Amino acid sequence: MQNSLKVAKWEMKRNLKNKTFVIGLFITPALFILFFFLSSLFSSDSDDTENMTVYINEDLGIFEEIEALNAEYDFGWDLHSTDVLKTEVTEVNEAYTAYLFINEQSLEENRIATYTSDESDPLFPGQLQALTAPLQMLKAKGSGLNEHEINQLMEPIVFVEGTNQGAAVGEDNTVTALENSWESLLPGIFAGVILLSITFTGMAIFQSASQEKKDKIAEIILSSLTPSELMQGKIIGYFVLGLIQVAVFVTILLPFIIWQTDIPILEYLFVPRTILFVFIALLSYLMFAAIFVGVGATMSDVSSAGNLQGFVMMLPFVPFVIAGPVISNPDGVIATVSTYIPFTAPSVLLMRLSLLDSWPWLEIVISLVVIVLSIFIFMKIAGKIFKVGILLYGKNATPKEIWKWIRI
Amino acid sequence: MKTLLTVQNLKKSFKDKEALKGISFEVYRGEIMAILGPNGAGKSTTIRNIMGIMYPDSGEVHFHQQSGEGIPKSKIGYLPEERGLYKDVKVMDILLYLADLKNYPLDKAKRRIFMYLKKFDLEGKENTSVEELSKGMSQKVQFIGAILHEPELLILDEPFSGLDPVSQEIFKEEISSLAANGTAILLSSHQMNLVEQMCDRLFMIQHGQKVIYGTLDDVKKQYASFKCILHGQNPPALLRKIPDVDRIEYNGTRSILHLPKGVIPHYWLKQLPDELDVQELHINRISLHEIFIDIATDKHLISQKGGSQDAEFLEGSKMGNET
Repeated sequence: MQNSLKVAKWEMKRNLKNKTFVIGLFITPALFILFFFLSSLFSSDSDDTENMTVYINEDLGIFEEIEALNAEYDFGWDLHSTDVLKTEVTEVNEAYTAYLFINEQSLEENRIATYTSDESDPLFPGQLQALTAPLQMLKAKGSGLNEHEINQLMEPIVFVEGTNQGAAVGEDNTVTALENSWESLLPGIFAGVILLSITFTGMAIFQSASQEKKDKIAEIILSSLTPSELMQGKIIGYFVLGLIQVAVFVTILLPFIIWQTDIPILEYLFVPRTILFVFIALLSYLMFAAIFVGVGATMSDVSSAGNLQGFVMMLPFVPFVIAGPVISNPDGVIATVSTYIPFTAPSVLLMRLSLLDSWPWLEIVISLVVIVLSIFIFMKIAGKIFKVGILLYGKNATPKEIWKWIRI
Repeated sequence: MKTLLTVQNLKKSFKDKEALKGISFEVYRGEIMAILGPNGAGKSTTIRNIMGIMYPDSGEVHFHQQSGEGIPKSKIGYLPEERGLYKDVKVMDILLYLADLKNYPLDKAKRRIFMYLKKFDLEGKENTSVEELSKGMSQKVQFIGAILHEPELLILDEPFSGLDPVSQEIFKEEISSLAANGTAILLSSHQMNLVEQMCDRLFMIQHGQKVIYGTLDDVKKQYASFKCILHGQNPPALLRKIPDVDRIEYNGTRSILHLPKGVIPHYWLKQLPDELDVQELHINRISLHEIFIDIATDKHLISQKGGSQDAEFLEGSKMGNET
């Protein structure tokens, strides 16, 4: 164990002194922040320069209400009341300009005559939909309904599933539901970040194991320690490197996100489920680390990876492929089955647990057992492959040879 | 002399090929023991089995005066035949790492690193990246890594390959001085002249089997008969008249007369015919190199057969081996 820690320390020191690694450590959060600013730069650009100038010709006294809506939804319209007649406007030549003609007749026909310039805010047609509510209200009032009847009429009809019959669905509820979803998603996203970054750091083990062969130093190192100590040392070393990566991510991005958004992140993050999620992420690392270190030892050159080795490199990406079906239906067949497949189990489990309201405990337990068992088996196999493979200089092992080593 | 390592009846097979067929030898403290043999004879396999990098099918490797089971890895220095260093690290870092793996105190290691870098003409290179070193320099760093932790047993597999004569000489002196200070050294090499100059005892294997085992002098006495190199205008007919000659190699004015085993050189000299033209005359034992080639080519001692065809072939293969 002491020797493994020495190897771990060495791998860490070596990587932390390596420029490529250090740059990689900071480049991802830096890119994240850069893109955030770039996108907000572009969107604020559109706010400043592409605000719509909207001329409204109306005789229903609705102008103030539209102004209020404009302010409430932050459309940024430059509103003007106008007397220009519909017949005078056939074409809008000024960019980012629109004319609305609202009168009794248009209300009657349910058609608001609208003229928009060729160049306009793409969001504008959607924004216009906000006007339908006050207009309908106006129309209902005009037909002599009282306030209560109007409210009854305008209330949307909701289909309520199962047992939640008592709960009334209103605007207030949807807002809390949205916040609740952040509350349940955040631990999952956090664990997902850990899972991804340590799994990807884990892929460096692959490189490191094959480097050992490429540099022909394996035999010198193995004169001081056993192959399994070397293997464990690499796994531990890259694990800590992965955690360092996560720590850098969190210390840079978390304050940034807290500053830029008003989601109470820390409050949502410090919940018991986060512990389980992070635990799943760590298990995922151990599993892929075992696979990578074993397969890495069969190759003397990463660039000449064979089919088998290339296939193994792809394994961590499999969950991305099935992420769509899993997220859209967390209780579906694909989601359930992939919870039991070692390579996809950790990620899919994370996705499902973040999305599901009631946890399928049995499935969770089975899945965790599958993950732990496969870690155990993969570690055993990797140990066998590593022991022989690490000394096989100058060529990549074939699947047949690897199978032979496993059986010994 | 104290025995440090005993190898007993080591056997190892790969697939259906028997690589080692029962190898036994001992290494003593303070001696240089050479393990010789042609490529593929089983030298590196033997060494790897001693180091626990491979496990023998049967047989025993025993380290004497050891507390505890297993291989005392921290007391062994090992320079494998297939060797290299991590490329993207500094010389000092890699050497300290290797010392650390051997549980050697780091401050002491640091002092010794500076001392050896200076000794091997690498002064000031401690912060150089390994990838910037030439092959020879890198070999020296590997050698420092093997001896840094003051091992009791030093195993060197082809330490001289790829070195220039100056560096070979530095290595040779260092190895000899380590042995003089009590380190047991197991050395495998193809540089027969160096082995002949350095080693106390030797073990030669061929096809995974012992061929010769003993002190250098004994081996020479046992296997190396004398040869007489004669320069001068001598017709073959005249030379053939000389008694006690196994075979003769003619090479223009230079002839080599191989004497049979047991011939005493100064007695033999007295029988040379008077009409012999002697410009120059040397009498030597056959060198280790020649014994080696003899065994490697499965001829098993030239003196028993004779015939110049063999001899010419021998010359040829000797040339090939020296390049």
